[in-house]
Amino acid sequence: MSGTNRINLTLKVWRQKAGKSKGNLAEYQAKEISTDMSFLEMLDVVNEYLTLKGEEPIAFDHDCREGICGMCGAVINGRPHGQEKGTTLCQLHMRHFKDGETVFIEPFKAKAFKNIKDLIVDRTAFDKIIQSGGFISANTGGAQDANAILISQKNADLAMDAAACIGCGACVAACPNASAMLFVSAKVSHLTLLPQGKPEAAARVTAMVNTMDDLGFGNCSNERECEAECPKEISIANIARLNREFIKAGFFKS
Amino acid sequence: MKLNSKIPSGPLSEKWDKHKFELKLVNPANKRKFTVIVVGTGLAGGSAAASLAELGYNVKNFCIQDSPRRAHSIAAQGGINAAKNYANDGDSIRRLFYDTIKGGDFRAREGNVYRLAQISNNIIDQCVAQGVPFARDYGGLLANRSFGGAQVSRTFYARGQTGQQLLLGAYSALSRQIGSGKVKMFARREMLDLVTENNRAVGIIVRNLINGDIEMHAGDAVVLCTGGYGNVFFLSTNAMGSNVTAAYRAYKKGALFANPCFTQIHPTCIPVHGDYQSKLTLMSESLRNDGRVWAPKDRGDKRRPDQIPEAERDYYLERRYPSFGNLVPRDVASRNAKAQCDKGKGVGETGLAVYLDFRDAIKRDSKEVIEKKYGNLFAMYEKITADDPYQTPMMIYPAVHYTMGGLWVDYNLMSAIDGLFVLGEANFSDHGANRLGASALMQGLADGYFVIPYTIGGYLAGVTPDKTPASAQIFTDAAKKCSERTKRLLSIQGKKTVDDFHKRLGLILWEYCGMSRNEQGLIKAKDMIAELREEFYQNVLVPGIDKDLNQSLERAGRVADFLEFGELMVTDALNRKESCGGHFNEAFQTEEGEALRDDENFCYAAAWEFTGEGKEPTLCKEPFEFENVKLTQRSYK
Amino acid sequence: MNWFIRVITASVGKKLLMALTGIFFIKFLLIHLIGNLTIYGGDEYFNAYVKHLHSLGPIITVLEFFMLFLAVIHISTGLLLFFQNLSARPFKYAVNKNGGGRTIGSSTMPYTGIFIFIFLIFHLINFHFVDKTNTTVFDIVSNAFANPIYVFFYVIAVAAAAFHVSHGFWSAFQTLGLNNVKYMPFIKKIGVTTSIIFGIGFGFLPIYIFIM
Repeated sequence: MSGTNRINLTLKVWRQKAGKSKGNLAEYQAKEISTDMSFLEMLDVVNEYLTLKGEEPIAFDHDCREGICGMCGAVINGRPHGQEKGTTLCQLHMRHFKDGETVFIEPFKAKAFKNIKDLIVDRTAFDKIIQSGGFISANTGGAQDANAILISQKNADLAMDAAACIGCGACVAACPNASAMLFVSAKVSHLTLLPQGKPEAAARVTAMVNTMDDLGFGNCSNERECEAECPKEISIANIARLNREFIKAGFFKS
Repeated sequence: MKLNSKIPSGPLSEKWDKHKFELKLVNPANKRKFTVIVVGTGLAGGSAAASLAELGYNVKNFCIQDSPRRAHSIAAQGGINAAKNYANDGDSIRRLFYDTIKGGDFRAREGNVYRLAQISNNIIDQCVAQGVPFARDYGGLLANRSFGGAQVSRTFYARGQTGQQLLLGAYSALSRQIGSGKVKMFARREMLDLVTENNRAVGIIVRNLINGDIEMHAGDAVVLCTGGYGNVFFLSTNAMGSNVTAAYRAYKKGALFANPCFTQIHPTCIPVHGDYQSKLTLMSESLRNDGRVWAPKDRGDKRRPDQIPEAERDYYLERRYPSFGNLVPRDVASRNAKAQCDKGKGVGETGLAVYLDFRDAIKRDSKEVIEKKYGNLFAMYEKITADDPYQTPMMIYPAVHYTMGGLWVDYNLMSAIDGLFVLGEANFSDHGANRLGASALMQGLADGYFVIPYTIGGYLAGVTPDKTPASAQIFTDAAKKCSERTKRLLSIQGKKTVDDFHKRLGLILWEYCGMSRNEQGLIKAKDMIAELREEFYQNVLVPGIDKDLNQSLERAGRVADFLEFGELMVTDALNRKESCGGHFNEAFQTEEGEALRDDENFCYAAAWEFTGEGKEPTLCKEPFEFENVKLTQRSYK
Repeated sequence: MNWFIRVITASVGKKLLMALTGIFFIKFLLIHLIGNLTIYGGDEYFNAYVKHLHSLGPIITVLEFFMLFLAVIHISTGLLLFFQNLSARPFKYAVNKNGGGRTIGSSTMPYTGIFIFIFLIFHLINFHFVDKTNTTVFDIVSNAFANPIYVFFYVIAVAAAAFHVSHGFWSAFQTLGLNNVKYMPFIKKIGVTTSIIFGIGFGFLPIYIFIM
């Protein structure tokens, strides 16, 4: 922990009451913030202060705080999960901020992600997309020996690259069109790249794309903001793969 | 209470097969008449909910997160063990069984552990069928590695994200059932109580975390998969939301809590760096394969590590354990780190850390080789600490990681309450007093995919599906109590925040019921916890209202239960007058400072029965019988 | 619903329509540019090219209607996507920042598209649906580009088209699923090159004529 410093920040935090469709940016001072803190720990400190002052603390989603559960996320100064590349909000440290800086903290915004309260949004749309087809239909118990299926290391790696998605929704938040294509394509790619996923590939991609459309996400226009902001650095090559699979399923499969 | 473990008779390797045959089956047409409540969506809960729905049961599944995919199983890094013996290096079901029993310091049931080892192979098959992208060799076969000092390569892995991939596999199976309507998913719900009728689980009370509504859900059986209680220490590697409430409420309704003092402390975590710290981050213990652990020889040496000459460094693990050196088991490494810091030899700003130094390894193997092995871990360390481990030694300190104790269950995973099943980390587990690396994922999935689908049938075949409706008096009474509890927490309006109390509780337990314990300290801790609890109910400040999304209120409820549960941990630790695995009682150690078991008097599971508010719990013992293994003393000299 | 309609009305389907029609327009622009280069050959050379083109008769008419059809698809689908995308985020951020993916070309697609559409109408009225009985196309063109305002408007429109193509070209390949680590960098380079060729090729013509 070399060079621990204390900094003061002005926060502009989105506050929105539960059940209300409108909110506003409220201003708070974050004082004596250690640069070793994570962004969420900074919010903890502000919340402790607000609580003791008799104000309601800022509601925000978080759980594992080690960058894997995908629960946290907010738009910091216009960037989902903040400006650091390949980083979730819980792994963003305050040493990346300057003393005296004003920090805007807004929730992910999209029609498909309804705001629940303050920085908390409803991302169940992602679950619905997976429920429509993001799986391999393998009931428990019927599996053959694991080594009976050979998978090239290359494909296993590519599948793993896509499967690393944590479903945080930053891609939707970052997309100028609030499209969910990176998320959907990551799951489609993960399963399509594996031989186990092939039998259902056509039905899967069609169902998932249709569900995504129905839920009110925007259309992909290849702006690549999702890829730039994804904390797991999922590639848009997956989106191309989804497109390919969708076209194949739509035109060449009966 | 007399405990019946219901372990089937017969040879060890035939017990499970025999038992499966003897379990009664539920007619397929009847399965759809039964509703099973599954609480939790981690490896155990997700796999159980999916598998039960596949069988035809109606499943109601609950989780506190916004999505079932976020359960904390997701954070497991290392891997999952299985006795496949793909590496042809002498592994077998029997060896995995033996390693697990011995690793757990002989405080687990032979029958359960053997079953776990048997099932381990099916898990890998099932996960591959679901599309879990395990690491592969060039030829396309599954890759294995050795993990946590095991002498065979039996660990399957998906980069450093094995837990995530296994959970996403279970989540996808679960999602498929949600999509088909067989599972009804209730996210952002927290279980506040178990509803029982004549010592039979008939439903649960949950709080809707979005709007604060208290909801009542009836079922023919309840399956708790709510994880461990490591967060009782406030700082742990657990997720922020992990808590003991569901398990503790079940305990108060008649389920027994077994071995709560068995907690595992992981030696290689990133040290605490300030009071505001909210959680600890684990780094794979594989780091100890090449890193050398040391502390300065002199107390309070505040020099930079590179300014401390070789002669003034104490490589204490290598010195004390010449043959195992830096690779001693987790508990030994952790205890020694604490001992150094207690002597004032700790390093870093807080003095609560020791060095893990790669200087010599880099000199020996080159930076490239070390980077290839540990590049991602070094990057993670640098991200959090802003220190470069290639230049300056890492600082590490132990952290609470896993809890072996949990609700007591029999061979069918059923607790002392009929129809209440407990799976995964939430049950007192197959890991005895200490869990081996890469075994937690194995147990969670074994319970969910391959044990509960059979054993729940054995239970449901004996009951009629005319369940008590959620509108019944027992439900409304229980719901009323839950809302009274939340109202009480809100009404105190004291001067200290919930986290304030939680942190203080954590410090008490860390100090007196952590890596090493002694009677005097435990007695002191018990009083301190009772005092803290009293203060909590007088002086806690919970802002907001109950009919709203109120995260402070959620935490307050969890901390209220931790404040009671912490005392139970201490009670259990006081009772266990021996040292074993995660429980190290300073009065019981070998001359070499190793844990000294007392197999004569303590070879049992200590299952605690709730006897009423403010009363001491009753101890029920389930003796462990070992017919197939010989109890030995660990030594790492 | 018919399977075909179902596929092309999905989000990916709509993008597919944009990509296929877009690729056609890029091809058209390429041919159009090659034809236009005959202007540098002077009056007779250019008029000869126009004459040859018109001599193709019904083929050209068919092609014109086909292009009109594609234009209707491209423009209507584009507008539909634009409005759907606008409505996908009803509440805007207070702070908007580029994460590093967007380019000028990509973030202005709908606007350059609309501008090109307006220009196209103007362009057709001026050069296509004009009475050509007593004059040659070359004269019409030189007269038009004698006006600096028209030159300016034309150059701006060409620049918009160049930006539109700079994103549209590789984007079409991405949409068609033809993104592969091996050749995607190459496709991106061709896209940029094409847009520069269009920009300079079309953009310099009016200036050339104006100066002449």
